[in-house]
Amino acid sequence: MSLKIAVDVGGTFTDLVLENENGLVKTYKAPTTPERIVDGILDGISLIAADLSLTTRELLAGCARFSCGTTAATNAILEKTYARTGLICTEGFRDTLTIREGGKADTYTIAIDYPEPYIPRHLTLGLRERMNSEGGVELPLDEAQAIAILREMDRLQVQAIAVSLLWSIANPAHEIRIGELIAEHLPGVPYSLSHQTSPTIREYRRTSATAIDASLKPLVGRTIKELESRLRAAGLEGVLTLMTSSGGQTAVDEVLARPINLCLSGPSAAPESARSTIRAEGEQTCNAIVVDMGGTSFDISIVDNWQVPMHREGVIDGNVFGVASVEVKTIGAGGGSIARVDAGGFIHVGPESAKSVPGPACYKRGGTRPTVTDANLARGFLDPANFAGGTMTLSEHNAADAIRSHIAEPLDMDVDQAASLIGLTVEQNMVAAIEEITIKRGVDPREYIMVAGGAAAGLHAVPIARELGIKRVFVPPVAGVLSAFGILVSDMKTTFSRSVPTASDAFDHDRINAVLADLGAEGEAYLDRMGIPPEDREIAFSVEARYRGQVWQLSVGFETRQIAGPEHLAALTEAFHQVHERLYFVRSTDPVEFTEWSVLATGRAPRRVLDHGVTGLPGAAPVHKGARSIYLRELGGRQQVQVVDGAKSGADVSIAGPALIDQPLTTIVLYPGTTARSTASGGLWIDLH
Amino acid sequence: MVILRRRFEAIISEMINALFKSGRSGVLNTAMDFSCSLTDANFQSISLAQGLPVHVGAIDLIPRAIVAKFGEDIRPGDCFVNNSGYLGNTHCADFTVCAPVFVEGKIAFYVIARAHLGDIGFPTPTTYGPRSRDVYEEGLILPCVRIQKDYRDVPEVIDICRANIRVPDQFYGDYLAVLAAVRTGESRLRAVCEKYGAGIVRQFVDEFQNYAERMARRAIAALPKGRVSKEMLYDSETDLYPAGIPIRATVEVDPEAELVTVDLRDNVDNLPLGINMTESTTTAAVMTAVLNVLGADVPRCTGSFRRVQLLMREGAAIGKPRFPAATSSATTNLCHALIPHLQSMFADLRGDLGTAYGTIGMPGSCAVVSGTDTRHGRPFVNQLIMGYWGGPAMHGHDGWLTYGSGASQGILWQSSVEVVEQQQPIIVERLEVRMDSGGAGEWEGAPGADCVIRPREGDVRFMVNSASRENPPSGVGGGLPGAAMLIARQDRDGRREDLPISVDTVIRPGEKLLSSGCGGGGFGNPLRRTPEKVLAALKTGRISVERAASVYGVIVDTSGPEPVVSEAATLARRESMRQGALQ
Repeated sequence: MSLKIAVDVGGTFTDLVLENENGLVKTYKAPTTPERIVDGILDGISLIAADLSLTTRELLAGCARFSCGTTAATNAILEKTYARTGLICTEGFRDTLTIREGGKADTYTIAIDYPEPYIPRHLTLGLRERMNSEGGVELPLDEAQAIAILREMDRLQVQAIAVSLLWSIANPAHEIRIGELIAEHLPGVPYSLSHQTSPTIREYRRTSATAIDASLKPLVGRTIKELESRLRAAGLEGVLTLMTSSGGQTAVDEVLARPINLCLSGPSAAPESARSTIRAEGEQTCNAIVVDMGGTSFDISIVDNWQVPMHREGVIDGNVFGVASVEVKTIGAGGGSIARVDAGGFIHVGPESAKSVPGPACYKRGGTRPTVTDANLARGFLDPANFAGGTMTLSEHNAADAIRSHIAEPLDMDVDQAASLIGLTVEQNMVAAIEEITIKRGVDPREYIMVAGGAAAGLHAVPIARELGIKRVFVPPVAGVLSAFGILVSDMKTTFSRSVPTASDAFDHDRINAVLADLGAEGEAYLDRMGIPPEDREIAFSVEARYRGQVWQLSVGFETRQIAGPEHLAALTEAFHQVHERLYFVRSTDPVEFTEWSVLATGRAPRRVLDHGVTGLPGAAPVHKGARSIYLRELGGRQQVQVVDGAKSGADVSIAGPALIDQPLTTIVLYPGTTARSTASGGLWIDLH
Repeated sequence: MVILRRRFEAIISEMINALFKSGRSGVLNTAMDFSCSLTDANFQSISLAQGLPVHVGAIDLIPRAIVAKFGEDIRPGDCFVNNSGYLGNTHCADFTVCAPVFVEGKIAFYVIARAHLGDIGFPTPTTYGPRSRDVYEEGLILPCVRIQKDYRDVPEVIDICRANIRVPDQFYGDYLAVLAAVRTGESRLRAVCEKYGAGIVRQFVDEFQNYAERMARRAIAALPKGRVSKEMLYDSETDLYPAGIPIRATVEVDPEAELVTVDLRDNVDNLPLGINMTESTTTAAVMTAVLNVLGADVPRCTGSFRRVQLLMREGAAIGKPRFPAATSSATTNLCHALIPHLQSMFADLRGDLGTAYGTIGMPGSCAVVSGTDTRHGRPFVNQLIMGYWGGPAMHGHDGWLTYGSGASQGILWQSSVEVVEQQQPIIVERLEVRMDSGGAGEWEGAPGADCVIRPREGDVRFMVNSASRENPPSGVGGGLPGAAMLIARQDRDGRREDLPISVDTVIRPGEKLLSSGCGGGGFGNPLRRTPEKVLAALKTGRISVERAASVYGVIVDTSGPEPVVSEAATLARRESMRQGALQ
């Protein structure tokens, strides 16, 4: 047997996807066990084994590759359960993590407390040394003081050390020496050096990334080693990989060396999931806005002309983690978001959430304030007797009461209208969040399709798409386990970078070409370690660039492995002009400065046609399961609409809105003016007219 | 209404993004010292959720100036530039560009982008001239002139700008950035009107103003009725006011009429200094302060501003300037003082309202630096934004660290030390919290920054418009003032020489500029601060063991691996301090 298993350990559920030797894909869910995530994973494995009538040991013995996405790193940052970590910085700059970069999310909220630094100041020690911006030594390293600092770190009982010195990207000698001294004087204490973790200009970002990386080493080391040993003990013989920020997988050892790459592991796989399922549909182009809607959060990512855009501005709980990552934007909007009316008569939904306790009013767990789920129940979108795959029944009475007293009466409207307004408002929040990510990338949503995943996706996808001018919505067959499927089909990949400044009017060909050759070799060596055959390898170079005088860079890819002569340089410069013009409408005649060179080494996953187990007859009429009365503002009132049983309907079934399609884990609301069509691979396309 | 409110917010975000990422000078592309806004044809501002409070609090004056000057002669493709404090602009370094948005052949909106340029052609390389005697010492004046016609630059205007500004290429790059913002706003607004219909959009703007006004009314109705008059002193650099320039205001809250009145008419006449405020900054300062008290959820726009009655006088330093008074520092010095001054008066109405005082004037670490970069021989001029901290404490919250002043309220980004050193030939030797600089209180003012800067191989000229030295930011309700702002030169032999409040000095290799930023004022009696908070501030290096004992009455034992509060000693110390205070 050569099975593949992919797991996405989320906050509530551990999603699992199995691909068998024939390419048949099956999905499973088990409750997450936050204390020891491996328990939940093994529970899920037992579910699969039972489904296949195998023992766990037989199943794992037949598993060629086991890929895992985990929020262990993200949660450690959010919940501040990371190791007690010391920071060594250049003397005179102990407050870098406190200052951050200034700025404030909301100008007018003044009644708030300033956030604490990632590493407390009393664990931050200044080192006597200084490099300048060209890498020259302004002040040599004081080794005696360095050793005194390490003794102090020992006294402070730190479990890990981050080292981030000014201009280490221009000359890493002092950081390297501190690394040697740590190994010598504090053997066994893990450490991270900023020029290795995140070789990028701006001391805050680099220091923040390095601090996070070091702080995760003890915990991630324990978690991952336990995961590996338990899986091996249970019979796993195949390769174990982990999902990283980059949207690809990598080997366990790579993650142990740079655990910061686990940030956003999980959600980072959503765009790959979208790309892969769209490819399976036979689409020629892929420009997609990917949304994943759950109970508490709404994640957005992008696929741009088959590419998944990356950035280095990823933030978790206000801390920049700085490594190249898939751009995923998350807002607190979901079924649990609470609606309220302010003193001026304006409605707001979220960011406050009812969470799972007390939960929406309709959960009958003591919640009295109206939520998005209450609104969707009240307007008939949800089946009260069959919620969350039939595991819960909902109270329509509670939902209506909550909406009436908190929204409908203050705004002088009926419950249906109020429920519709709650839906509209949360959808506007989602639209704003999508626009934020698309505007920043210079993407026009009207030229994109929307890929909708997650339990709440089908309820809100159409109005959001309509507001953004998107004409097609795709609900993939794996919508309920979007990220886990992305993990299953993702490539192996990792990024290596070097900070070496040069400019178009004085381009240092020799130095840059040497750097590019080094980076290329590093990429190949990584692919060697991963055992990727030559035909599946991809080495892609990019550079961060800006006009002289600007301080923010844009990332520009280039095809050649070297910048050999004036022609290559001209092509690279022109590529930058085009990116700048596309994003900001203007180009300049100023010289272009290049700051940081990167290589993305990819080992492509084998692509084959997967079978999502569609059983219904192609082209048959949709299978109905009765009708429900729903309220749609567009219809001017309530209307009985047909409910289609999505699970039982086959391929090429066409359904015209208004209608509801019940899937096992979600309900899709087909608004008037939309048509849905199912496909052979189990996907559903919704056209907006 | 939900939809269109989001649309307008999204349009402004798009404008900001266009400007931010393509701007050239440091104040633009790192500090975000710019703003984007829009008004309808009746000059009603719409959504001011983002942007510098002092920039956007009176943005309607910009399109008003265009209409007053050009009347019917405004066409699609026009774009106007205005940097005149006499025509509704904030101060001369704020290069404000405004374009009309035509829908169905009529002006429906004005889109506005305002950016602080690195240079505006002063006689000296700065953009603030606190010692300027009149407007003729403040560089280039652009009195609301057309800079684009038919979507093309008016070359004469660009040429005049380039000829007057020290860094013409940087200027032109910044101009392209503001233009990109305005044109982005224009095209997006047109699309919104097309999609929803111009009539609906117009109606929304009116409804939104009414909504904002209702929110403001509710908030004012919940305030106590009362009237407070208060005077503060601002560090003087004129012989006219040797003891300090008085700033006077009377605030009257009428909850029944749901109106706040701010009377500033009793202020001194225009000064022979560049710190005179403009109509724009006086109005914005008042709106900012009052709305800060009303709360974050009251929208900042024309509708809510209707509930604030502002009385000011032409020819007053705090009010409207009388020509040719100099106003180049209208967004900073007196403006920094006026905002917290007004906020502090609300604390007199009720103990949990208002704030203490925050940073007034710029610290030395926010100098405008200029010279020639010896690494490549090119001239440079740029404003640093480092260590612009010292936020005021308020009831329930310590001051916000990277606050700057009430004019920016924390929105400015702080420059990265590495980017600063890459762009200018200087070395920053230190940038850390200045210990014991935050004003003590039950809630503590945020500290200022200790910053040390030295040139590399060539001379570097530093210009700073500081303040807060004789009169550092005050505390409120028993809170103590923050430490004074100081700027000094350290010579080659390590000797320290204090520099005046308005700094214009050349620092040579081997010498250093020492900047000690002021802290924000404290709020409430320091003896009421919890010992845990005192200990936490001590661990972060904000306060010393001595200050914990002498000001807060908290005795800390530092003999172990982590400092701990000595509870019995603290109780005794606090009790004796209370007794002492009673005597």
